[in-house]
Amino acid sequence: EVGKMKGECFRPLGRYDFLDLGEVEENTQRAQLCRTIKRFIIDPALAKLVTHHLGPDLEESKAVIFECNPGPGVLTRTLLNSGAQRVVTLEGEKSFLPDLQALECLLDGQLEVVHCDFFKLDPMGRGSMRPPAMYTDKLFTDLGISEANWTDEVPVKVVGILPQRIERSQLWKLLYVLFDRLSIYRYGRVELNMFISEKEYLKLMAKPGDMLNYRAFGALWQMACHIELLHKEPWASFVTSSKYKLAIPKSRLPNDNLCLVRMTPRKDLFSASLTPSNAATLVMMVKQCLAKRKARLVDRLNMWSPDSGPKLLKEMGMQEDVLTGHVYPEEYKQLFELVDKSQEFTQSWLYEEVLENTQKEGWI
Amino acid sequence: MINETWCDHNNIQELKSLCSPDLEFLTIKCRPHYLPRELSSIIITAAYIPPQADISTALNKLYLTLCKLETTYPEAAFIVAGDFNKANLKTRLPKFYQHIDCATRAGKSLDHCYSNFRDKYNSRPPFGKADHDSILLLPAYRQRLKQEAPALKNSHNNLLTDPPWTSQRRHFSALIPKKEDGKKRVWEQSQLLDVLEARIQQLQSDIVLDVQHAKVQFVNASKSGRGASSGKSHKNVSGGRTELPKVGQTISNGGGKDASAYKSRKLIKAKGKGKASKEPAPEFSEARDQELAELERKTEAKAQELLMQDNSEARMYEGVQLSVHCYLEACVFCGDIDRAQRLLLTHHRMISRRNLLNIGLYNVMMRVWAKKGSLNQIGRMFILVEEAGLKPNLTSYCAALECMGRTPNCSPKVINRVLRQMKEDGLCVEELFRLCVFRQDERDMVLRAIHTVEPDFQPSINTVLHTCSSPLVKDFYTERADAKYPKLAFSLEELRERFSRQLSMEQASTITIHSVEAMKPVTPHMAKMRALLAEQRMVWHKALVGALRESNMILASITPKAVRLSLYPYLCLMDQKDYVDIMIQSLSNLPPSGESLHILAKELGNRVHNKFCIRMKSHNQMVDKLSHIYNEYAELLAKDSKDFDVLPRERWWKLEAEHNSGPSLLGDNTQWPHTVVVELGTYLVDLMVKHMKVNSDILNPANDRKFIPVLYHMYTFRSNKQVGFIKPHPILTQMQQDAMETTLTFDSYVMPMLCPPVPWTSAKFGAYLLTPTKMMRTVVGANQHEILLEKCQDADLHAVLDSLNQLGNAAWRINQPLLDIIISIFNDKGNEKLDIPPPNSEAPKILRYSQQDLATYSSAEKAHLKRELVKAKKKCSEMHSLRMDALYKLSIANHIRDEVFWFPHNMDFRGRTYPCPPYFNHLGSDVTRAVLVFAEGKPLGPGGLKWLKIHLVNLTGLKKRSSLAGRLEYANTIMDDILDSADNPLNGKKWWQNADEPWQALACCMEIANAVRSPDPTHFISHFPVHQDGSCNGLQHYAALGRDVIGATSVNLIPCEVPQDVYSGVAQQVEEFRARDSEKGLKIAQVLEGFISRKVVKQTVMTVVYGVTRYGGRLQIEKRLKEVDDFPKEYVWDASHYLVQQVFSSLKEMFTGTREIQDWLTESARLIAKSGNTVEWVTPLGLPIIQPYHRTRTQMLKGTIQDLSLQITHDSKQKPDTVKQKNAFPPNFIHSLDSTHMMLTALYCYSAGLTFVSVHDCFWTHALTVDTMNKVCREQFVALHSQPILQELSNFLLQKYCSGLS
Repeated sequence: EVGKMKGECFRPLGRYDFLDLGEVEENTQRAQLCRTIKRFIIDPALAKLVTHHLGPDLEESKAVIFECNPGPGVLTRTLLNSGAQRVVTLEGEKSFLPDLQALECLLDGQLEVVHCDFFKLDPMGRGSMRPPAMYTDKLFTDLGISEANWTDEVPVKVVGILPQRIERSQLWKLLYVLFDRLSIYRYGRVELNMFISEKEYLKLMAKPGDMLNYRAFGALWQMACHIELLHKEPWASFVTSSKYKLAIPKSRLPNDNLCLVRMTPRKDLFSASLTPSNAATLVMMVKQCLAKRKARLVDRLNMWSPDSGPKLLKEMGMQEDVLTGHVYPEEYKQLFELVDKSQEFTQSWLYEEVLENTQKEGWI
Repeated sequence: MINETWCDHNNIQELKSLCSPDLEFLTIKCRPHYLPRELSSIIITAAYIPPQADISTALNKLYLTLCKLETTYPEAAFIVAGDFNKANLKTRLPKFYQHIDCATRAGKSLDHCYSNFRDKYNSRPPFGKADHDSILLLPAYRQRLKQEAPALKNSHNNLLTDPPWTSQRRHFSALIPKKEDGKKRVWEQSQLLDVLEARIQQLQSDIVLDVQHAKVQFVNASKSGRGASSGKSHKNVSGGRTELPKVGQTISNGGGKDASAYKSRKLIKAKGKGKASKEPAPEFSEARDQELAELERKTEAKAQELLMQDNSEARMYEGVQLSVHCYLEACVFCGDIDRAQRLLLTHHRMISRRNLLNIGLYNVMMRVWAKKGSLNQIGRMFILVEEAGLKPNLTSYCAALECMGRTPNCSPKVINRVLRQMKEDGLCVEELFRLCVFRQDERDMVLRAIHTVEPDFQPSINTVLHTCSSPLVKDFYTERADAKYPKLAFSLEELRERFSRQLSMEQASTITIHSVEAMKPVTPHMAKMRALLAEQRMVWHKALVGALRESNMILASITPKAVRLSLYPYLCLMDQKDYVDIMIQSLSNLPPSGESLHILAKELGNRVHNKFCIRMKSHNQMVDKLSHIYNEYAELLAKDSKDFDVLPRERWWKLEAEHNSGPSLLGDNTQWPHTVVVELGTYLVDLMVKHMKVNSDILNPANDRKFIPVLYHMYTFRSNKQVGFIKPHPILTQMQQDAMETTLTFDSYVMPMLCPPVPWTSAKFGAYLLTPTKMMRTVVGANQHEILLEKCQDADLHAVLDSLNQLGNAAWRINQPLLDIIISIFNDKGNEKLDIPPPNSEAPKILRYSQQDLATYSSAEKAHLKRELVKAKKKCSEMHSLRMDALYKLSIANHIRDEVFWFPHNMDFRGRTYPCPPYFNHLGSDVTRAVLVFAEGKPLGPGGLKWLKIHLVNLTGLKKRSSLAGRLEYANTIMDDILDSADNPLNGKKWWQNADEPWQALACCMEIANAVRSPDPTHFISHFPVHQDGSCNGLQHYAALGRDVIGATSVNLIPCEVPQDVYSGVAQQVEEFRARDSEKGLKIAQVLEGFISRKVVKQTVMTVVYGVTRYGGRLQIEKRLKEVDDFPKEYVWDASHYLVQQVFSSLKEMFTGTREIQDWLTESARLIAKSGNTVEWVTPLGLPIIQPYHRTRTQMLKGTIQDLSLQITHDSKQKPDTVKQKNAFPPNFIHSLDSTHMMLTALYCYSAGLTFVSVHDCFWTHALTVDTMNKVCREQFVALHSQPILQELSNFLLQKYCSGLS
């Protein structure tokens, strides 16, 4: 009886009962109507590929999938079709909501639709806090997701396309909240599966020794997360809402791709000596050190606390003349842990410098 | 396979080679005999990517190698050639251009040739019989060759007629040579050959089909008799980013007759000299050669003439010229003539650089040789000038004559010849005396030379003064009979004495004064710290002097790269001690939170430049002459000398013309380029960071003793930018804070002047006695304003100059009782309500939290704590800077408390006037305005007391809507409060403290009290300045321009019973809109009920005329709404959004004309900017204005400490910034009108004998003369707007920007 009644308002999704993805052309048109400049996944094959990378065992995985700005919902449907247990779509654009909500109604709680822009979570400004802007705690509380331990399994997988214009600042913002364990990272090791431009990806993954690209940005991400390149897709495969092409500025590297990158926070990121409360100091230290990659590390350390540089380097087993641009992210972390223990450093005035510089970047 | 005649084998170097399954390549670097200047070398890569190779790996390898080479040799030309099979290098190196566009093998193009020059080559259809076809690449622009069959033979015939270097760089073949007769080989690089041979082997094994390759015929180049290169495959490495078209042009006999061909001939000649033996005789006939040379000279001369014609616009190479000029001047100043001469010659010898030079640079050296009396050298310089295709100008001849004057018994023949040549060049001797700037005894020497041939010659004194043509000031200049120009209340003697004090202050270039904190008692700890600090300073001083000396020695010993300008001469201008003084001075001004490197460097650099300018003036011996003229000029102002009917500018001008012997007063030293200033500053900062150290246990003996630096270089991060910062060590900060040092050192121009300023007589001369000052303040480095002012007719600027002089001539005094009260509060605990910043001890404590504590907090609490901490830190640094600012102002005021002083004035690019001393002036805050009174006292007269009372009510901010009579009446009712405030300012009822401007109100209370208690208030001598404030000037001008009656009424342009208040009007209108929307049920309109007031909309209305946008307007209103306590906070954003829209539409309703005018101005500016021009206009008083907004250019400055990138937004070579040009035009135009009105009022007040000062739209005068000033002000407003201002603007714009169109 109950099943019958429910059947009238929604259709339970059977294993072989697939949602129709809709016509590609129609979806494209709808996506192009979006007023803000965005990219969308419309191609069913691409959606399938992304789903595949989120898997393999979507049906068994307990992690909630957050899909950012799904638009016409091709990926949403593909995810559901491949058996995702719980999908939350965060759609910032009002015009896409009705359709998604209709889909939500059809299903038995596998899909939740929220009017929210993932990239506008916890804004710095003090404008009106109306959707699509939102505080994370409201979002997570509403969804019934509670705070988790850092070492727990990944609670949430986020999939989406980083808006190109704010790519770098978004990644910085995420980095800050990650080290501070604020915002989404209060709820555990949230895994990001993001399409980012190839240029940014190369910066993200730059290795020590690459004096041009190896910067604090990449070093810190590598330190904090296990980063995996899942897939490269030419940006022409996406549908862009703007009448102007969202061209990626030309540089000398081949970069007309978007890279699907998985960033899983490391289980062992935090330890007895590195905690969310002093991680800001670590971030500051790495930023200071890598501001100039061809400076000698020992000089930097000496600046923070005179004469302590050689001692620390010896403890680390590093060469006296090592350049800051040659030090691996892991080594920076070890270095910080040593520094944090050292009495001399806690007296150093530069140690307090950290707080002063969070003015613009201290996301909550 | 490099031809010996093209490139000596010693100049070939192998850079890199690689043999792998995916890629084989060899890279060599050549430095051929002949190479365009802009290229350092040619880097050739021969590459082979086998068909089965992994293309991506191969390309990546190639890419990495080339990138590395590109960074190592940024100036090199790159050529990559070879068999790429299917690979395309362009995917990795988009900057490289592929030149082969036809099939090279079996219908496919497998062989590619890349270079970093686009479109410079056309490939010719293949020839030869190899399996890979040979391709001949020819420069793209050759016309002649197109007519000829692209046969190899022809091409080689052409070679014969060409100088070898041109031919060799023309051709390029991607052909890979096959095995050939070893004897005939001429190439040098056997290694390259090996690679290529290996490649051939591969080809042979790859391609079975091929049978023809063995029969390939080579056209043997050696047949041409010059041992020239190798058949089809001479490596052609021509190139040049810009030079290229010129280079390849002289191809076939006859060459082209166009200018670029001649240019290339010139190149040959220049480079060919001295190497003539190597140059095989070309088939040019001698005669032809000469003919060409002749033609070339003529065309060049013509081009030069064109260039000279519009000197001001031909500043294409200005950047280089300016830096070379400053470098030369600096070298000359520190006596390093060799260095200067060397630099000029190296520039002269390099054609690419020579083209950048102008006559001014040669003149610098001529003047040096003239001083030395070396006629020989002068002669050589003239030859160089001619060689460079420049024309000697007045200064050049002046130097020549000076030199002859210095040479004893110089033959009259020589002098006559010079004079004759001058005449031929169209220059006359009279002009020479009128226009040249003389230093030291130059003028007398020139005159002596002329006297040897023309004993009776006397330079005529031009005393005819032109007057300003603007109809607005015609009366002012022509009808002087009634004018009674004010005199100063000083005797001639006093003025002269003041002058000499000012002069010695400026000569010292810095001044040390006691701070007002000196009044505090000295504790033993303070005394100890002071001693410690003084001792440290000595140590640092010594260390820095040593370091500077050492680094100078190193710099001197480095022979600089040919054209690189080192900092060395800039570091030798003064004693090391002087530089170090500057460094130590900047140390004490460093805020505890540090300063960005850029700002610090700029400050240091500017200080050095300032000091240098002052030294330069003494060096040029102009101080005596200045004293002489000033002492006579003082008669004009002194009360005990006769009356003059001339203006200060005219008097000075006349005196200068009369005393024409000796050096010119006009300093001709140029402002250093900004890059030099910053580079020099960075250099000094670097020294400071490296060499100033202190023992770490100096304050706390418990610490380990380490020798640690006092300053640190680090980075702060602002959004995604990293900013280099210099921070003081906390030890230094603590020492400074504890010592509470009681002396402050300032640059001398920070102090007001002790004597009346030198009147502005031109845009370049005026204000301080020695300190260089610009009449128009500009962004550093922007010179378009200066160029524009230079272009103006002298007389057109007179009105502007005279009004500046008038403002500068007002004498000031300190209001001592008030200053004492303020200082007492300042030295106590400050008072934020009264705008006296409290000392650091009152700052909020910065909480330190330990990690244990933190662990107990929730993340929200932690975030909160963090925010609090950031806030506290921010507050602390804000408080510090406010406190220091107040300390500077009060200390300066206190230092001159018994003096009479003057503020010299200059203006910004829109004509708004400002006093030059930066900290303490009448434009400042309520506090500084309150301590200033006129030095001259005038009786109150019949209406004076009334004006004092009204002024007081105005200062309180009350009774805004009452008439003057109403305000006066109000003042009379509160006389008790007024007198109480005056008598017991700090212990009484404190009525004054609630005024809008409390300190000025208090000062006014005291003045009123004194006046009413005097026996006869009408005879009471008052020094008090009474202000008349404009009511929304911007809107007034708009209303007047648009003849907008309703608008005009609301801004008081039409007489009314009570003053109208536009802000209340707008508020009322907004309220009406709100009520309407509220009825319609709009939520936010309902919420806003009862909250719309004058205060909420005032700022937005006021700034709307100055171009505030909706965005900015919303922020303003948001701020106001937040101040309203009971307004629900959650609605602030929506409400502000709603209100700003309503304000805009209300204004539109009230000022109909305004909007239209604004739109017209905006649209005009947009179109002008779009057409690539910057918006220019001329004010009704003749001041030319140009908006200096251009697209941003980034300039990198290399420094030892860090590289600095400067954002330059005013570079006139960049396109205009359309958005800024368009948005800024309406407000700038209105500002320029407003300033014009102020200047007119100033001028007419001057002729009425009034004391007049202005703070933009607020005019000040004595109480006695308020009525007169008001009358002048109104008359001038009417006069100004009786002019067809908009019509004239329109005409000007049409003429300026549309004259070329039909």
